[in-house]
Amino acid sequence: MSILYDEGQQAIATESRRVLDARTDKARLLGLLEQVGAYDETFWQTAVEQGWTALALPEAHGGLDLSLVELGLVAQATGAATAGAPFLTGGYGAAMAILHGNDEGAKGDWLAKLANGEATGCTAFAEGSSPLPTVPAVRFDGGALHGTKPAVPGGLKADVAVVWASLGARPVLVAADLSAAKREAVNSFDNARLYADLVFDGTPAQMLVQGEDAAALARDVLARMAVVTAHEQVGGAEALLHIARDYAVTRKAFGQPIGAFQSIKHRIAELYGLVEIARANCIHAAAQEGQPGFALAAADARLSAIEAYDTAARDCVQVHGGIGVTWETGLHLHMRRARSLAIEQGNALFWEDWLVDELVKGDAA
Amino acid sequence: MSDLDAYRAKARAWLESQAAEFGREARRGLSVEDDLALGRRYQRAKYDAGYTGINWPVEVGGQGLGHLEKVTFDAEEMQFGMPNVYFGISLGMPVPILIRFCEDKPWMKERVIAALKGEEIWCQLFSEPSGGSDLAALRTRAETDGNGWKMNGQKVWTSWAQYCDYGVIVVRTDPTVPKHKGLTYFWVDMKAPGVEVRPIKLAGGDSHVNEVFFDDVRLEDSQRMSPVGGGFAVALATLMIERYVATDSAGFGPHLDLFVETARDVEFNGRPAIEDGRVRSAIARNHAMRAGLDSITRRAMLMMQAGMPPGPEGSLQKLVAVRSRQKLSELGLDLQGNMGLAFDPHAFVKENWGTSWLNAPTGRIAGGSDEVLLNTIAEKILGLPQDHRPDKGVPFNQIPA
Repeated sequence: MSILYDEGQQAIATESRRVLDARTDKARLLGLLEQVGAYDETFWQTAVEQGWTALALPEAHGGLDLSLVELGLVAQATGAATAGAPFLTGGYGAAMAILHGNDEGAKGDWLAKLANGEATGCTAFAEGSSPLPTVPAVRFDGGALHGTKPAVPGGLKADVAVVWASLGARPVLVAADLSAAKREAVNSFDNARLYADLVFDGTPAQMLVQGEDAAALARDVLARMAVVTAHEQVGGAEALLHIARDYAVTRKAFGQPIGAFQSIKHRIAELYGLVEIARANCIHAAAQEGQPGFALAAADARLSAIEAYDTAARDCVQVHGGIGVTWETGLHLHMRRARSLAIEQGNALFWEDWLVDELVKGDAA
Repeated sequence: MSDLDAYRAKARAWLESQAAEFGREARRGLSVEDDLALGRRYQRAKYDAGYTGINWPVEVGGQGLGHLEKVTFDAEEMQFGMPNVYFGISLGMPVPILIRFCEDKPWMKERVIAALKGEEIWCQLFSEPSGGSDLAALRTRAETDGNGWKMNGQKVWTSWAQYCDYGVIVVRTDPTVPKHKGLTYFWVDMKAPGVEVRPIKLAGGDSHVNEVFFDDVRLEDSQRMSPVGGGFAVALATLMIERYVATDSAGFGPHLDLFVETARDVEFNGRPAIEDGRVRSAIARNHAMRAGLDSITRRAMLMMQAGMPPGPEGSLQKLVAVRSRQKLSELGLDLQGNMGLAFDPHAFVKENWGTSWLNAPTGRIAGGSDEVLLNTIAEKILGLPQDHRPDKGVPFNQIPA
């Protein structure tokens, strides 16, 4: 696929940005931070109405048959607005796992509902500090799950989770209807992400795939979700770049706009570099979907997007001085989201290892 | 295959046919003089094969093709380590300016063809001891002298001046007006009486840059290539030529593969360094950065192919790539422990951490320092204000020295 956006893709970018600008309300988002169990329902209704849940799913299952490119553009708009329920990425990941798994029943049960927004989805791969443990402690036994997945994004409200578990000594991916699972809300610095411990105690689940195929699919799904999240991070980082720029040209000190001081203008110019490099990697990765280089491209996108959003969050606050650290100014919405997105889908340490493994595996002696 | 792919394939085949005679291996161990002589022969072979002046008009000896073909050829050529460095500036800036601004067209065409063949080389005489980044602060002056001009002063950092036949130069012709307004642009004969070139040995050991002194050097008015007082605009035009030249996300240093290879070859704490988290982190971050720059380049090429101007993000390339090459080269040496202390000053920068490291500072300064590039991004792309400039609007001769 080309790395130049076509007209349809540009229209999705513009339209999603426009809709979110009109419907995002900083006060509402700030309010969500101090509540456990609440999320941005306005955003989610918008996502469903606009068909964003269906974008990257196949037509045969009620989707729009578009790709990671289009979903990425929506995620970028979402990131810019710090909007978002965790289901945009999590639901896509769950759907991809179910779609590429072998259980036809699970496809019938969930894909159309995930596409039309009737159901919400999440993925539960991580355990402890590991985003994708080699031998997961959660067990799948006799058609049911046992064990706990910690702080699953979207876990508090999602209808279905795709869970990375062990069947004997082999890994499996299974789909679990969460109405039969116990959820314990996690009070987080970014509560709108609906983090919850999923506690399985004989929760029935459908096996999608097992063994090496499960490991390969889990990695592919994680890479896809990482590319969506990377777009979201780029959207957030770019928004912060513009906020910092706008402040630097209006705020005056020592008789001139603070943006005339190189300590400020160079900081902002550096952000531009980080944002454009991450954006270029995102565009490349999305276009590589399904190609041999996708896993490497996803890692490039993920690492550069983490760096861009983290740095933009730090530096944008710094450019603002005191006003930047107030609750009301709300830059901490981005600061918090930069951190939560840096951890969801695996932290930078995980992706650095992933990238080097991909790099050396091709020419392993 | 698209036309451009076909062009690339043909260019590559030609380059491969020349590599044994002119490529990296053929150049290993040559003195600068011998390498330059080889370079002149290579330039002539390029001319004969139709790979010089690729995007210049046919009327002046060019191939009449597009910018894309030029960048495509350059990107392919870069992989062979051909001896083209002596002609890069000559054909990159002075000669295109000559084509555009020289009034004497037959003389111009003669010079252009000689330059394309590698018979003559042009330099660019801009920087001075009193101004590098601040070009308009230059002090070399030309005064009217009969029907021509008399020039006195000094330029510095002039690449390859010791081998050059001609140069383009910007000088002060009126010190009583603000600094940008009193400049005029000329071409100069580097063999003229009163021109003295003194090579400067750089930290890395080579002497490709020079000081150039002018002592009562005679310039005819026909050598003037701008209106009197209109030199700064032509100087800017010189610097703006080809914003999208062939780039290198390795910052003109070694490819990341060489680092990975080094990390696999050496041990750290009894294990291959490639298994060390700090080394892995450096590899991963450099890979992500370079992949981003490569993607920016590919997108720029596609946009140009589609007839659209490429985005401004191309201006990040040198800034980001060269300074990260500097740090990666340090680590490349560190990785080898005491073995990293051995140094071959003649090793190719693209193949060796030592020369890459020692020459990296030049890359971060020449052609726009990191700081100037950051200012350009901040001001031209992001709309941030200019720095405070106390000399703005002040007549040049009243600016405190």
